[in-house]
Amino acid sequence: MAMKGQENSTLDVLGRVCPYPLVLTKKALEKLGSGQVIKVKCDAPASAEESIPKFCEKQGYTCEVEKVGDGAWDIYIKKA
Amino acid sequence: MAKTTKMAFLVQRLGYKSENPKLALTHAIASQTVDIYLEDGDAVVPVVAFVGEGVLNCKNNQKAMETYGITSTENHLQNALLCDLKILVCKEDLARFGVAEADMPDASAMGADTTVQVVPWETIHAELKGADHLLFF
Repeated sequence: MAMKGQENSTLDVLGRVCPYPLVLTKKALEKLGSGQVIKVKCDAPASAEESIPKFCEKQGYTCEVEKVGDGAWDIYIKKA
Repeated sequence: MAKTTKMAFLVQRLGYKSENPKLALTHAIASQTVDIYLEDGDAVVPVVAFVGEGVLNCKNNQKAMETYGITSTENHLQNALLCDLKILVCKEDLARFGVAEADMPDASAMGADTTVQVVPWETIHAELKGADHLLFF
């Protein structure tokens, strides 16, 4: 988890189901500067393990996903 | 060659115990996520328009949770605004039903950057004409 502790902002989408985590993450990333890191707190499995990492890969953003508890993830994204 | 697909979701009716208006909003929000499966540069741009009786879905201070124990269309509208969705409400139909423009749902308290746009039918019609896909609810 190279980006852990490096985040410039945090987005809490706990309690939100698909498609909200990805849509809100995209919106938050639009406001982020190049090279900045956002931490996304998420408890929607499909978003945390599939759609958000896939979106980051497509955009060329670095993404690290850490499972932090039973059904919760911290996702660190560095904007290219 | 990048392609932008415009989708228009037209809500013409009240829910009447159905999920219709909420489905329009949910599908429109979900359409903003499909680009992860599209070719690079391709995009889907949604717009949701409330016309006719459908404008009554847009009244604020709905009491769905208190009355029926379910989330309200207003709540879905607020979430859509939070996601920067373009929401258009027909000005003439609001006037026809006696609903004030000031009574539109607002999501600024949730951190939304956008608001419901009350516009003439002419504007909505132009959006519908420019859409690649038109979905009726």
